[in-house]
Amino acid sequence: MANEKVDNQIDLLQGTLDLLILKAVSLGPLHGYGVLLRIQQISGEELVILQGSLYPALYRLEHQGAIASEWGESENNRRAKYYRLTPAGRDRLGEETVKWNRMAGIIGTILSATPEGA
Amino acid sequence: MSLRSVFARIVAQPRSWLRAFVRRERLEEEMEAELATHLECLTADLIRAGHAPDEAARRARIALGAATVHKEGMRASLGLRWWDEFCADLRFGVRMLRKSPGFTAVAALSLALAIGANTTIFSVAKGVLYDRLNVPHAEQLRMLVWNGNGHEAVHSMWGQFDSTPEGGTTSSAFSYPAYRELRAHNPAMLDLFAFKPDSMNATIRGTARRVQTEMVSGNYYAGLGVRPELGRVIQPSDDAAPGAGTVAVISYGLWEREFGRSLSVLGQTITLNEAVLTIVGVNPREFTSAENVQVSPDVFVPLSMIPVIDPKGKTSLLNDPNMWWVSIMGRAKPGVRDSQAQAALASQLDAAVRGTMLLKPGETVPRLVLLDGSRGDHFDDSDFKKPAFVLLALTGFVLLLACANIANLLLARGAQRQREMSVRLALGAGRTRILRQMLTESLLLAAMGGLGGLLLGYMSRNAIPRLLTNAWEATQFNIHFDWGVFGFTAGVTLATGLLFGVAPAGMAACAEVGSSLKDTAHTATRRRRGLGGKAIVGFQIALSTLLVVGAGLFLRTLFALRSVDAGFRTDHLILFSINPPAGRYAAGKDVQLHTRLEEGFAAVPGVQAVTAASVAYIGNGMSNDVFLLPGESIDRDKKQAEDFNLVGNNFFAAMGIPMIAGRTFGPQDSATSAKVAIVNQSLARKRFPNEDPIGKVFKAGDATGGWVRIVGICADTRYMNLRDAPPPQFFMLYRQQSEIGGINYAIRTRMEPAALVPALRQVVQQADRDLPIIDIRTQQEQIDATMQMERVLASLTAGYGLLALALACVGIYGIMAYSVANRRNEIGIRLALGAQPEQVREMILRESTRLAVAGIVVGVGAALVLTRLVKSMLYGIQPYDPLTLSAGVLLLLGVALAASWIPARRAAGVQPMDALRHE
Repeated sequence: MANEKVDNQIDLLQGTLDLLILKAVSLGPLHGYGVLLRIQQISGEELVILQGSLYPALYRLEHQGAIASEWGESENNRRAKYYRLTPAGRDRLGEETVKWNRMAGIIGTILSATPEGA
Repeated sequence: MSLRSVFARIVAQPRSWLRAFVRRERLEEEMEAELATHLECLTADLIRAGHAPDEAARRARIALGAATVHKEGMRASLGLRWWDEFCADLRFGVRMLRKSPGFTAVAALSLALAIGANTTIFSVAKGVLYDRLNVPHAEQLRMLVWNGNGHEAVHSMWGQFDSTPEGGTTSSAFSYPAYRELRAHNPAMLDLFAFKPDSMNATIRGTARRVQTEMVSGNYYAGLGVRPELGRVIQPSDDAAPGAGTVAVISYGLWEREFGRSLSVLGQTITLNEAVLTIVGVNPREFTSAENVQVSPDVFVPLSMIPVIDPKGKTSLLNDPNMWWVSIMGRAKPGVRDSQAQAALASQLDAAVRGTMLLKPGETVPRLVLLDGSRGDHFDDSDFKKPAFVLLALTGFVLLLACANIANLLLARGAQRQREMSVRLALGAGRTRILRQMLTESLLLAAMGGLGGLLLGYMSRNAIPRLLTNAWEATQFNIHFDWGVFGFTAGVTLATGLLFGVAPAGMAACAEVGSSLKDTAHTATRRRRGLGGKAIVGFQIALSTLLVVGAGLFLRTLFALRSVDAGFRTDHLILFSINPPAGRYAAGKDVQLHTRLEEGFAAVPGVQAVTAASVAYIGNGMSNDVFLLPGESIDRDKKQAEDFNLVGNNFFAAMGIPMIAGRTFGPQDSATSAKVAIVNQSLARKRFPNEDPIGKVFKAGDATGGWVRIVGICADTRYMNLRDAPPPQFFMLYRQQSEIGGINYAIRTRMEPAALVPALRQVVQQADRDLPIIDIRTQQEQIDATMQMERVLASLTAGYGLLALALACVGIYGIMAYSVANRRNEIGIRLALGAQPEQVREMILRESTRLAVAGIVVGVGAALVLTRLVKSMLYGIQPYDPLTLSAGVLLLLGVALAASWIPARRAAGVQPMDALRHE
């Protein structure tokens, strides 16, 4: 039972992580650490992302052409790889957002249902 | 997902993969740098949050996690993982193969040998048996042949014929008038065309030589649908009037060899049997002739030139209804069934023969038959078919054997690595991952074997054609390296390799991890697992027995033929032929020429003796003629013909044929003196039972030549070949004939042919500048040429037999070594309980002997059945030759014992304590 729960969480996170990254870079180019910080910041420090899983996700998105990268200088003069959203990525962000919202709405409706006639 | 983003992904992914793949080092650097940046930023933030630098760095590292794992994830994201794993598999595979070089060498070598040998043989067999003419729509071609019932009105023939099982004759040769009639009244097929392969004396660019020619009808090229590479082809107008079409089309090969593919070849002249011909065209490279795809004649001339360039007899062949010589082909008419066409043409042939010939009472017209012509005039198939099928079968066996060997090796290896697989599974390797690893290893082995096979097959592509042609004739034998055949053999062998390479791993991977690990390598009992291997080794031994017995039979046939006494001295004899063209040498002139040449050759320094003979011995050729004693008359129903030879005065001394009685030919026998003859012992016995033939007279031929007196009896000699017993023969002097034509010369000398020939050539050139010496060979080469098939079969079966023995040896050794390793524990216990080392050794040897005997019994059984099929190809022995069979059995038993000797000794040398401590 315990095992299943963990599995579910990871699955959920993976899909969500892509969406979160797309959203984060849609607000402006970011390097990996910056993506992490921005997500945490926007979520009001509620969401803690496993730092290691960030990079495979970034590479996957770049591989799929949703984001593109470029080397540049970070705010404290370090060489850093900046990710930005591509047009294809913007499309995908839109689609996934709609999908997520629908899903959230449906799940919300289901969860808020009350016994009939009660 | 929208179409646009799907499309973006399809475009982006390969590009990203390729970039990552090509700039792999940079990618690794960047991943490193990116993670380092992350770590630094995180550390800086933690320091700012009030941690000590050391502590901050530690916490940052913990928060980020293991960089190696992340990098692995990043690579997987880019789709690089399967490639990396493949590389790792490959590296590991190479390491495993290098760790057991013996296994690798044997496996790769047997693969290479099997693929190479099979490609070579299959290519030849396919060429001989199945390849079609390189002309458009070869499948529409039909060949005309006839079947006679033994009384057919065909008495003179120049061409290919065969006897039918019913005692009649079948042939593809027709008379030219019959061809003309058939073509003129041919409602059932598209235009018929005719051709005649021949060989002639040619002078090309100043050198006299012998060339293969094809005389063709004017519609030959149109009928075949062949267009020239250069210039034009032979047209109906070239073939219109006898002797008028002085044109020639040459082969691509001749154009390349002699004219360097120069465009100026058109308009140049060549001399062909005295006729000067202008080259008007060059054949395309792939076109050989209508005859077959193997032999490519060099010069094509119109058929109507035959009265000028190759007249035979007194009447022109173009008008002679009695001489059957020309081959006829045509294309099937769309919509007309072959049976209809055959019936229509058969009645035409009947009419044509009755219209042009006078049939004697009792004579019949041969029945016309249409045969498939897509492979050309393949009338001599019967000569090649059987040996080709035997070779195919042998090669198939070797292919099977090699597959069995690979299977056996890989199975044993798989069994050895069972534990390794279990350990890997236990350590968390996926089953598919293990299968992939084994697949990679098998592929690696297969690739090595395949490459070796390709190399071997390509290098030996000319080996068989070379074996099939004789030493002195430069026949253009066309066998190409056949990629289709290579693909097939490579496919079969490699598939076996893959199957048996992966199967053990598959079984191991599906087994429960625990059972295989608990089940240690030294179990006390024998396991069923060995059975598959044993069956394969038994099969190998059976196949080897079959091949060894076959090799023994063919080798003994060859040796039996070699040791046959020809009846004359075959050493230090040089043979050659001189064919004076009939156009320049009328009857009588040719006899004078040969008399002069014979005297000229005798005067050359180094020549011990010279003689001429119309037929060279042991050369698959013969002459016979009716031999009539006083009181006998020609009777068609009786076989009155005896083999004969027209010879020079010095024949018996030069050839070393002993005289039994009477006198030999001498200087007193001249063109004008009384006609004399010598008969051999067989003829004396047959025609003069209980009589002395010396002094008796007979008539030869059509009985118009007058009486010939027998003056001597000589010893018997073989005639056409070494297989047939010496036939009855009689000898007459060529000087006492009215005409003789071409003659074979035999010169006894201690000199090398190459050293003597220039002087001989000078003698000929003094007599006639345009007369070439043709077919220079030694008598031994001549004899070898008649035994080509036997030699090819003997050398190939012997080679295959050795290969089979080697493979079986490896197989037996492998299986016994494996068995001993498996039973180490059991053997240790036996020894500890008091068994003697000799007993252990015997036990192992007994096991291998049982295996060998089982295989040998099956093999001998198969050999007894199969060798019966090649009975007609053997000489001097029976298919069940006890000596060959027992020698083969003993050889295999010996090999089996030798191969298991080392494992048996190892078993006997086991130290009980060592073996038991291993548990």
